[in-house]
Amino acid sequence: MMSQRSERRGIHLDQSELLCKKGCGYYGNTAWQGLCSKCWREENQRERQKQIQEDWALAERLQREEEEAYASRHQRAQSQPTITPFSKFEERKTKEKSSKVNTVTKFFTPSAKTPPKKDTTSFDTQSSPSPSSSSSRHPPADTDHATREFIDFLKPLKSGREIFKQCRAFTESMVYKRDMGADELSECVQDFYQNLSDRLQTQFKGSTEHVESVMDEVEKYMMTRLYKEVFCPETTDDEKKDLAIQKRIRALHWVTIEMLCVPVDEEIPEVSDSVVKAITDVIEMDSKRVPKDKLACITRCSKHIFNAIKISKKEAASADDFLPTLIYIVLKANPPRLQSNIQYITRFCNPSRLMTGEDGYYFTNLCCAVAFIEKLDGQSLNLSPEEFELYMSGQASPHWPQGAGASSPGSAALSQVHKRLDLLTGLGERQDRVIEKARQLESDLIDWTDEVEQKVQSVLESFPQETHNPTATTASGTTSAAASAIDSDNVENERLPPPLQPQVFAG
Amino acid sequence: MSAMRVDAKVVMLGKESVGKTSLVERYVHHRFLVGPYQNTIGAAFVAKPIQVGDKVITLGIWDTAGSERYEAMSRIYYRGARAAVVCYDLTDSSSFQRARFWVKELQNCEEHCKIYLCGTKNDLIEGDRSLRQIDYHDAQDFAEEIGAQHFETSSKTGSNVDDLFQKVAEDYNNTAFQYMTEEPGVDLGQKKDSYFYSCCHNN
Ligand SMILES: Nc1nc2c(ncn2[C@@H]2O[C@H](COP(=O)(O)OP(=O)(O)O)[C@@H](O)[C@H]2O)c(=O)[nH]1
Ligand SMILES: [Mg+2]
Ligand SMILES: [Zn+2]
Repeated sequence: MMSQRSERRGIHLDQSELLCKKGCGYYGNTAWQGLCSKCWREENQRERQKQIQEDWALAERLQREEEEAYASRHQRAQSQPTITPFSKFEERKTKEKSSKVNTVTKFFTPSAKTPPKKDTTSFDTQSSPSPSSSSSRHPPADTDHATREFIDFLKPLKSGREIFKQCRAFTESMVYKRDMGADELSECVQDFYQNLSDRLQTQFKGSTEHVESVMDEVEKYMMTRLYKEVFCPETTDDEKKDLAIQKRIRALHWVTIEMLCVPVDEEIPEVSDSVVKAITDVIEMDSKRVPKDKLACITRCSKHIFNAIKISKKEAASADDFLPTLIYIVLKANPPRLQSNIQYITRFCNPSRLMTGEDGYYFTNLCCAVAFIEKLDGQSLNLSPEEFELYMSGQASPHWPQGAGASSPGSAALSQVHKRLDLLTGLGERQDRVIEKARQLESDLIDWTDEVEQKVQSVLESFPQETHNPTATTASGTTSAAASAIDSDNVENERLPPPLQPQVFAG
Repeated sequence: MSAMRVDAKVVMLGKESVGKTSLVERYVHHRFLVGPYQNTIGAAFVAKPIQVGDKVITLGIWDTAGSERYEAMSRIYYRGARAAVVCYDLTDSSSFQRARFWVKELQNCEEHCKIYLCGTKNDLIEGDRSLRQIDYHDAQDFAEEIGAQHFETSSKTGSNVDDLFQKVAEDYNNTAFQYMTEEPGVDLGQKKDSYFYSCCHNN
């Protein structure tokens, strides 16, 4: 057994990385800190519970502080009849409740009644694993930070505490809705945004600017919390779509600036600089958690695109230049989890930002770019269907001219280089496939040895038992039945002399 | 960056070269450029504050890529729009057919979007009346039939351009007020809009 294990280590360099760190037997993933998806989710759930408890502690402390401050103020100015801001809001709220059935209230009432009264100070932050992968770049401390910021932002507001309570209760209730479909989750969140902003609208007497600044903070707080639960949820095929578009973009590597009519001249250093920045920004979108921050990445990317066009054309860019250039940038960047990000923004972003403003414009263009890439055919690139097929299948490349025709010696050399490059890319792809297959074989082997090991183990376990207690065999299952068959063979052996004792020979 | 808050989304639709970009350019920058770069002037998105009575309404004007290869994607653009300026070239009858197509699309998909039918390049007709291919009354009849406002504009002279966008802002202000009094705090347009990507995606 032992030797078998060490032998296996000899073949597999990092077997520990392949299996879930929890030892549940499933494969782990470095993106999930070496856990399998199931254990990862469980681990997250626990962290979230801790966060919720921390929130309560923070909120309660805040409330105490405010009450103390209020009490001291009250003592000093007893003569002036003042109402606490909080009770004022409550008053208005109950009035509202009677006149309007509010979808949001149903989220608040049940969860708000069960505050976890545990001692949160004993909670040990060190025990939670330190996230290292890109999918969890933000440590839990970040969400605490978001809570603190949110509370700080709300403090000066008349109804700040009430807003915080509602947001926290709602966020908490969402955690228990993770089996809900993505559209329903989105609807819940959008309903919540809508109702809260309506109420704020009344409270701020129509100052839309004020309402939106609060709603931005609400979105930030809530989505920092909910990100892991609702980004690319298991109930959707977002992940499948991510892989599909990624593959599609890879297959379109041959598309040139000319085919898309992109008015950008990358020979100009400042232009290529802007192009690189645009690519970086659109890739960075995946690392943000809050929809608004993701949108900001798209907007930054778009501004760099406008800059690149402006310098290339020496004229301000229009929609006619922008969309093709954005398509080009998306093709070059192949942004990670593109569909998941688009869906997440669509589902959970503040609708007014998404639908009307400048961010919304660029986001919509990104959606168009993705739709274009998905449906793109020869016609959309001014190519014949045959040419398109040849390029897609890799049998030809637009970089090297088919006919020997009008090519100058320089371009001949260049086409040679391109040919070689394409060859290299092809080889690289094949190598990837080989490695992939090797990995598969490796894991198959592990499975197989595990299986054999288990079988041997179970046989070994049942075997000595049966020899000592043959009567038990009839009662137990199939393995013991097999073992009893061996026993019956051994009946003869009982008449044999006892086994030889090992003897030590000196010299 | 501090993006300007926008009240309503206004989308420009119409066949390539009917003058959508020029219209926005004229309205926002009060200019009309001719020359080699004539169809590349203007920005793709503009936020324009407009005085309506004692209020200021900010329109977010969405220009769309003109090329026909992106036409299929235009549906994604007009989702959630409160107003659409559907343009046709007064000197090009095919562009009016295209305008009819856009109107039908909007009526089917965006019930809260008000339509503004806009005949462009009026200055060309004033120079030579024989260039007119779309009769004013035909267009007017069509506009009435679909409950749309009808304008004939020139981005070159600026004729009727301000009136068009002023009307858009006023109508928005009126309907926004109407929504508020009818059904407090319910924005009818919004919930459906939140799925705009996934829904367009399957067409
Ligand atoms: N004479 C005249 N030409 C116009 C007018 N509006 C646009 N054009 C021209 O029509 C062409 C297309 O305009 P553009 O705004 O790019 O159209 P778009 O494709 O709909 O955005 C350009 O050459 C413009 O100069 C107008 O009101 N009068
Ligand atoms: Mg244009
Ligand atoms: Zn596991």
